[in-house]
Amino acid sequence: MYLVADISVEICAAKSCKLCTQYCPEANTILYSDEMGKDKGFKYGSAYVAVDRCKGCAQCVWVCDNMAKNNAIKMIMIDQLPVAALTDNITYGEKSTTATLVSPVVG
Amino acid sequence: MSLDYVKFSSGFEKFMPKEYRDMVEHGPFGKKVSVSQMGSFKEVLEEHPMCAGCAMTLFIRLAMIAFPNPEDTITVGTAGCGRLAISQAAIPFVYGNYGDQNGVASGLSRGLRLRFGDKPKDVVVMAGDGGTADIGFQQVLHSWFRKERFTTIMLDNEVYGNTGGQESGMTNRGAVLKMAPLGKKFEKMDMLQMAKVAGCAYVATVVPNNPRRVESVIKKAVLIAREVGSTYIQAYTSCNIEYAIPTDKVMEDAKNVENDRYQFSEYITDEAKQFLTERYGYKEFLPKPAAPAPGLPKA
Ligand code: SF4
Ligand code: SF4
Repeated sequence: MYLVADISVEICAAKSCKLCTQYCPEANTILYSDEMGKDKGFKYGSAYVAVDRCKGCAQCVWVCDNMAKNNAIKMIMIDQLPVAALTDNITYGEKSTTATLVSPVVG
Repeated sequence: MSLDYVKFSSGFEKFMPKEYRDMVEHGPFGKKVSVSQMGSFKEVLEEHPMCAGCAMTLFIRLAMIAFPNPEDTITVGTAGCGRLAISQAAIPFVYGNYGDQNGVASGLSRGLRLRFGDKPKDVVVMAGDGGTADIGFQQVLHSWFRKERFTTIMLDNEVYGNTGGQESGMTNRGAVLKMAPLGKKFEKMDMLQMAKVAGCAYVATVVPNNPRRVESVIKKAVLIAREVGSTYIQAYTSCNIEYAIPTDKVMEDAKNVENDRYQFSEYITDEAKQFLTERYGYKEFLPKPAAPAPGLPKA
């Protein structure tokens, strides 16, 4: 098992600064959705991590804690993530299908 | 090299990999994207084998977003960590032999001008400190003296990271590395000064902990190189492996180094200022409106 970044929609959507999207060293990994969090009544969207691309460096945690001062990101073991985080938090198209994960990370 | 090269041939769409389809549907080609939109479009850089948390990776990511016309750009590189990522992008990449990347880029940029005339095709060299200041030094300097119209970017991690930690000309004096156990005996080379002496039209230093600034200097450098002359950017992109920086402290290190010895600096010739202002509508070089004369009685 290994660590990946996980963003709390509740905490992020309250601020939605998008800073972490500019500091993750990996391309197409921290993405931003205008819709996330709307169902919970937040006005702006939230960042989320395409976990199959995350290398677990925790730079985003430093950025959210120290630059954004929002503490919305935590590193967690990938098998502790809800299944939806693996199937929906992917880069663009064809969400909600495990078929799009090139190599399934769990199972 | 036009927008057509990223489109699907009809009937093939459903066979294309997801990344390719994302690139066509959400990619930056033919649009203007910026650092502030990051996370909302598909970037040209794909997955690559560079180390987790590497500042150089972040810099390359930002650079590719900053290219004014990614669909009309060719990158040139050489041996070193950076090429592991630069080659994994939807931008053509030419891999020069160690040391000759600025020679290759000179020929390429001249050839593109012959072939495409006035239509801008940008050539950008991205190589490490060893490739630029040591092994490629002669060709780099000569390309600048010849005022070759392309951009040279040094990914300065102050070490040969790919081969186990030897000192480079850009390593700081006194730095102790795995393969330099007694510490480096000479000063870090002043490539910025050399770039100015050799006639570069634009010279800047950046650190990737300021993404918008990285974007702005790269845009300027690439645009100026279209017509005015050589441009040079020197970026501090730490090697967290050889300098033992914990990955979650890489940005903190970048900030400290920026404050300490890698402050932002920008040198631009009058000709380049005029070019950016007249051709691309830059406002920052216009004369500032005169301040009201002090001491006049109030009306
Ligand atoms: S830095 Fe933190 S608050 Fe800002 S977008 Fe990222 S997760 Fe949300
Ligand atoms: S842990 Fe590192 S690779 Fe993963 S999302 Fe955060 S910054 Fe990006």
